Amino acid sequence: MISLQNVTKTYKNGVTALDDVSIEIEKGEFVFVVGPSGSGKSTTLRLLLREEEPSSGEVYVAGKNVERLSALGGIPKLRRNIGCVFQDFKLLQDKTVFENVSFALEVIGKPKHVIDGRVPEILEYVGLGEKLNNYPDELSGGEQQRVSIARACVNRPLVLLADEPTGNLDPNTSVDIMRLLDKVNKIGTTVVMATHDQAIVDAMRKRVIELDKGKIVRDQSRGVYS
Amino acid sequence: MAFAAISTAFIALFLFGLALLIAREINLVIEQVTGNVEVAVYLSDPVRPDTVARLEDELSKLGAVDTVTYEDKQQACERAQKLFESNPAIIENVSCDVYPASLRITLKDTSLYQQIPAALSCETDATGRISCGEPGVMEVRDYRDILDRLSAITRVLRNGVLFVAIIMLVSATVLIANTLRMGMFARRKEIGIMRLVGATNWRIRVPFLIEGMVEALVGAGLAIVTLFLGKVFLVDQLRTQILWFPLIRNSDVLAVAPLILIAAAGVALVAGTLGIRRFLEV
Repeated sequence: MISLQNVTKTYKNGVTALDDVSIEIEKGEFVFVVGPSGSGKSTTLRLLLREEEPSSGEVYVAGKNVERLSALGGIPKLRRNIGCVFQDFKLLQDKTVFENVSFALEVIGKPKHVIDGRVPEILEYVGLGEKLNNYPDELSGGEQQRVSIARACVNRPLVLLADEPTGNLDPNTSVDIMRLLDKVNKIGTTVVMATHDQAIVDAMRKRVIELDKGKIVRDQSRGVYS
Repeated sequence: MAFAAISTAFIALFLFGLALLIAREINLVIEQVTGNVEVAVYLSDPVRPDTVARLEDELSKLGAVDTVTYEDKQQACERAQKLFESNPAIIENVSCDVYPASLRITLKDTSLYQQIPAALSCETDATGRISCGEPGVMEVRDYRDILDRLSAITRVLRNGVLFVAIIMLVSATVLIANTLRMGMFARRKEIGIMRLVGATNWRIRVPFLIEGMVEALVGAGLAIVTLFLGKVFLVDQLRTQILWFPLIRNSDVLAVAPLILIAAAGVALVAGTLGIRRFLEV
């Protein structure tokens, strides 16, 4: 599903964020990417989204070399197959829960009957079936993150990328969010999650890829944080 | 910000239209006064058809001459009446008989003018009047000078206004581009999410392009309305006072309107590409 082959990424300011990294992730896997700040976790996710291009090496997502995708059609199509969840939720404050999720379908041109069918369904799935018409600032952090997961999943992506999804949440809420991500993974979505959260990694016993200064220092199935 | 963009677009397009109307006005004057004829060969009465035919033939053969048209006394009279249309005193008091028939000549190359008086064996007397030896020819009159001067005035006036108009069009473009950029900046979070979930660039761009287009076209609409009002309240007032030369009409403003709209669309297009580009690195 995801393949990085000898990928090096050096930014314009001379910082090498990834240094000759190769990773293979199969369809349906759940993978933690761990490591200290600046180790290259976020760069890895940005490469998968084709927000950055590798300086050398190749990145494949769903069988496509992301570097060869065109800005006009290829990249948007790639991103429709990837859901994204962030530490800061990235919700639009002037839209309701329903509108935040439906926005993701509207802007890719889905017809209204599809939107009206899928949005309540996915919000029910993440446990927010009662809060369709609330605004983000009326929700707890955990609930807001559920909205953002619903938005990421509403178009049924092949891959879910999560960048520190529990970074702003207390431990109990974090556990709930991890249960939800696990549930999303169980229905076949490949999940790649960058995190610092040692307790979570240790509890989940999933594959762990550890980065340090742009290099893979460990790739362990059923691993712990360190 | 949108207000600033619209008002600059309005002023720019107004000046642009004004330049076009000034050019039309002066063309109208030239047309009316000289009929765009550079040289007129006036024929002495009575005019004999075979003289006309012979002279026409002879003049057409000259390298300098582009076209020769014969205007008989009746046509000359009609033209004069049109010229003095707003001054009935002249029309009533001057009999049609005084207007001479003429051969009206446009030149291919104005510098070869001398070929014409030479062919008709004409001489210039001390007062600058050109009288001719050729039978049937009364006088040759050289309108090149008037035409040159009138076109020089047109050029200066039109270019001046156009120059200002172009500067204004550029600033309108920059302002609209800036408005779009600020609009995109204000909605950068939304745009970020749109990109993330796979909206195409066009999907993101189109609302902003439409906004720029609307601003430019509103400016153009205001400019056209203002030019119309200016024509009604200024030019039409003058019409009763200036009797001896023609003034632009509604149809002239109408003819300029599409050009203003095209300029507005151009402004919007350039502003769109300039203003939007920076926010769309994928």
